[in-house]
Amino acid sequence: MIDDRQRVTGQISYVQDLALPSMLIGKILRSPYPHARLLRIETRAAEALRGVAAVLTRNDLLNSPHIDPIYGPQIKDQPVLALDRVRFVGEPVAAVAAEDAETAALALQSIEVDYEELPAVFDPVRAAEEKAPHVHEILHQVRLGTSAYFGLRPVAGTNICHHYRLRQGDLEEGFARADLVVEATFRTPAAQHVAMEPHAVLAAFQEGGKLLVYSPTQSPFNLRDLLAEMFHLPPDRVQVLVPTLGGSYGCKLFPRVEPIAAALAWQAGRPVKIVLDRPEEFVTLNRHPAVITIRLGVTHAGSILAKKVTAYWDTGAYADCGPGVAQKGGFSSVGPYRIPHVQVDSYCVYTNLPPNGAYRGYAVTQVAWASEAMMDEAALALGLDPLEFRLKNILRDGDQFATGEILRDVHFEECLKTAARQIDWQGTGFERTATAEGRLRGKGLSVILKGMTTPSRSEALIEIDEEGVVTLHTASVEIGQGVRTALSQIAALFLGLPYASIRVPDVDTSLTPFDTRTSSSRSTDIMGRAVGLAAQDLRRQLLEIAAPRLKASPQDLTLAGGLIHVVEAPARRLSLQEVVRQAGRGTLKGRGEFANTGGLDPETGRGIASSYWHQSAAGVEVEVDPETGQVWIVGCHAAVNAGRVVNRIAAELQTEGCIVMGLGSALFEEVCFDAGQVINPNLSDYMIPSFLDIPPKLGFTLLEQPGAHPHGLGETALPVIPAAVGNAVADAMGVRIRDLPITPEKVLRALKAPPTGEAGAEEEEP
Amino acid sequence: MIDIRYLEPTRLEEALEILAHYGEEAHALAGGTFLALLLKNSLIAPRALVSLHRIPGLKTVAEQPGEGLRLGAMVTHREVEKNPLIRLRYPLLSQTYAQVANVRIRNQATVGGGLVDADYASDPTASLSALGARVHTWGLQGERLIPVQEFVTGHYETVLQPGELVTEVLIPPLPTQARSLYLKFRSRSSEDRPCASVAAVVALDGEGRCRDLRVVVGAVADRPQMQDELAEAVQGQRLTPELIREIAGEYAGKIRPISDLRGSAWYRERLIEVLVRRALTALVAPTASVSHGPQGEGTCE
Repeated sequence: MIDDRQRVTGQISYVQDLALPSMLIGKILRSPYPHARLLRIETRAAEALRGVAAVLTRNDLLNSPHIDPIYGPQIKDQPVLALDRVRFVGEPVAAVAAEDAETAALALQSIEVDYEELPAVFDPVRAAEEKAPHVHEILHQVRLGTSAYFGLRPVAGTNICHHYRLRQGDLEEGFARADLVVEATFRTPAAQHVAMEPHAVLAAFQEGGKLLVYSPTQSPFNLRDLLAEMFHLPPDRVQVLVPTLGGSYGCKLFPRVEPIAAALAWQAGRPVKIVLDRPEEFVTLNRHPAVITIRLGVTHAGSILAKKVTAYWDTGAYADCGPGVAQKGGFSSVGPYRIPHVQVDSYCVYTNLPPNGAYRGYAVTQVAWASEAMMDEAALALGLDPLEFRLKNILRDGDQFATGEILRDVHFEECLKTAARQIDWQGTGFERTATAEGRLRGKGLSVILKGMTTPSRSEALIEIDEEGVVTLHTASVEIGQGVRTALSQIAALFLGLPYASIRVPDVDTSLTPFDTRTSSSRSTDIMGRAVGLAAQDLRRQLLEIAAPRLKASPQDLTLAGGLIHVVEAPARRLSLQEVVRQAGRGTLKGRGEFANTGGLDPETGRGIASSYWHQSAAGVEVEVDPETGQVWIVGCHAAVNAGRVVNRIAAELQTEGCIVMGLGSALFEEVCFDAGQVINPNLSDYMIPSFLDIPPKLGFTLLEQPGAHPHGLGETALPVIPAAVGNAVADAMGVRIRDLPITPEKVLRALKAPPTGEAGAEEEEP
Repeated sequence: MIDIRYLEPTRLEEALEILAHYGEEAHALAGGTFLALLLKNSLIAPRALVSLHRIPGLKTVAEQPGEGLRLGAMVTHREVEKNPLIRLRYPLLSQTYAQVANVRIRNQATVGGGLVDADYASDPTASLSALGARVHTWGLQGERLIPVQEFVTGHYETVLQPGELVTEVLIPPLPTQARSLYLKFRSRSSEDRPCASVAAVVALDGEGRCRDLRVVVGAVADRPQMQDELAEAVQGQRLTPELIREIAGEYAGKIRPISDLRGSAWYRERLIEVLVRRALTALVAPTASVSHGPQGEGTCE
């Protein structure tokens, strides 16, 4: 990786390390109530404190013609600071900018706030009911945010802010023709991303009213446009700079703290930096809790005829990208199978929990947990091998998906067979005898498809100056995933340079060309294509300039080792620097742009959901202690379609990271609440996997095809893991856990419970 | 401005005087793994932190004939885990301290600090109780020797008075041919505190009858749980599988466990039965790999 040395020697400056002259430190006062009317805020004592430069409350926001106090990436629903009421425990109510952190903290303590409590709702299914307390009063007047790329269907008079529908075939007919129908409900809790770097932002208003923001955001241009809208500025008056991120996993996809820092900087007239602490991370953005019911109709021979999915996504008090999660979760819940009759209703629901948003795997972890469990339950009911049952229905190249799109570059079967082979899958012939210690043994499989943001667009610019220095300008942000290295490698391929010699500066929206965002494992693919085109453009210019000087035509020339030479006569050559200088046009620029196209009909949910589908499968072998319920992951293998690997080390680390993160979600990760308050907002009480939790056998396969295009790998191996672990545990125990995580206590309770709670299987009349 | 004075006394008396001067506004600082959490979360706001690092004699590891082991309050978990003398003579201790959190914590956290924190889910307190350890404290009023079971009085509460310091822990010698075992059950990550744990010491006579039995269950209530009467009742009996099952059942039936994020009371009750049974079964097995004692070969896994 091009920045590995700086990374491990602590040379990288993250946003929290930055400072500007006369910078203040900002801190946030948060609501102790999940739902309450905001009566009185008294800030005089805080303002009078020495060292306090600004105290910001709703009064400053509501009384200013310069600020639109409501923002949101997909729905404009979140106030910068609470206006009339608070909607979750931890909601920002006031903010202080002071000379130092201690003074700011002291000032927060002297702010008095009076609340009047309101009824709250914490469960997405309950919240979707008409009689539930309303988290937002006016839902039918949805104001779209700058990142809404699909039509929203809110349900008036409820907490449902988006209802994604997918309809294919005739569901009634499908179930009527089925020999067997199985149905069950599955739950996934909130999880925390636990990026090593917390949310941090440094904002400053400069001479002439220009807003400068340093942020570890995954969406520099969304952030720029959102802040421009908020402060009624033209987008070019907002400059967003993105240093390397210290991890994100989705928690920094959309603006969270930036609006507060910018408003404080505006109020104080000085730069303001805010760095959240760990407990604040737990009330800033989590993974969507989900409740998903699957009804599956199958024939005795093992064909899936009908699938009905009802999914509730708890987006918390503010939508963030919840509508997108419900939408992607909606179509992904069909799974990589040919199913003639499909009905999906996926609801994004407001509750009085902290906002939930993007989390590595983006909704597919939740839907795979439900769907892939139902595949096993149906196979069990039919007496079929789960692998054979999956392969009988799996999507193959040229098949039509439930959205109507024809799938190409399809490798689900290969992924699944590889994962099965790697854990020595023997199907129904697997010997389930207990181990010497009395542990039960089981194996499980899962396979998923995952969409990539469609439509989206990436631009790249590659420059070579008169010193021969090559610079790649790309708005793909470095999160630690190695995107700069991968993109440098793609550029280097066309320019005949060592990739490490290419400079890749930090993103600066005033200089760097546009990109939709760094998300959905799209950068190596979509930005990679744009970078490839830009490199080819620059290469063409260089060869055209060199050709007359080398007395050859451009097609007789090649680039290698920083030189252009005649293919047939390598001695006839020019350095790139000489070529640029001799052209006399200053810095040469190559440009590239790539967009993927598509979109879904808001009524039927059909169309092009994704220009490419991420594909993976996992096989997991477990041992279960029947006396304590403890689960040991004995072996775990993920197979991922990579197309073509650009940087092997980064690709492997991404995949390993996905697996380990998936094991955390499978076995113990859960943000716990008591009446809306997070009760484990720190790393003593919220567990993530450590090195000792990594199973003895952990493997992966990156499937490649000759001539294939590189595919992103940032998330693909994660969503299969909890589902495969769940299937393996169910295989070992003969009973199924339907609520993540699979804690030892849940396992023991399931083992001790009378044998009810099985999927409701109904034999249909033939 | 928040202003904490950081003091580094070089003598115990000096430390005690400083603590007496500040009263409840000073906190002694040992490894700091727990104190730093309290400070960061504003659960304490001391005016002074009194570091014990420069006070001589607090890092002692020594065994005196007939008296047992003296473990200085500032000895780190990692030292207990690795020290050859402790590994050979008090393997229950090295086995227990080796399972606390992760190596970074163990390099920092201290024996005395862990006791004073009195976290109900601490690993070492159960094993120290099983070994009959006593806590040696000093204050300006003088010294005290307090059995570990009496030292911890509740959730994060001990009998330590303001101004008093733990200077060492005294662990009596194990009965001859005693075997001991610490079983830790984690319900979440490998770095988690126990959901339940069992520290057990068993000594059998030449006929295989029970001479001494100590079973302490940790992390299931506000302090380590032991059933002394039960242990006395089985004196002189063979620890047959049936008797072990009975003992385990008694422990599970008598302890009223708490519920927390690591497990419910229902679950802990079942864990207690399983862990006590497994610990005793392992300890009486003829080829127990956990076998050790003063005369034993001191193998630990």
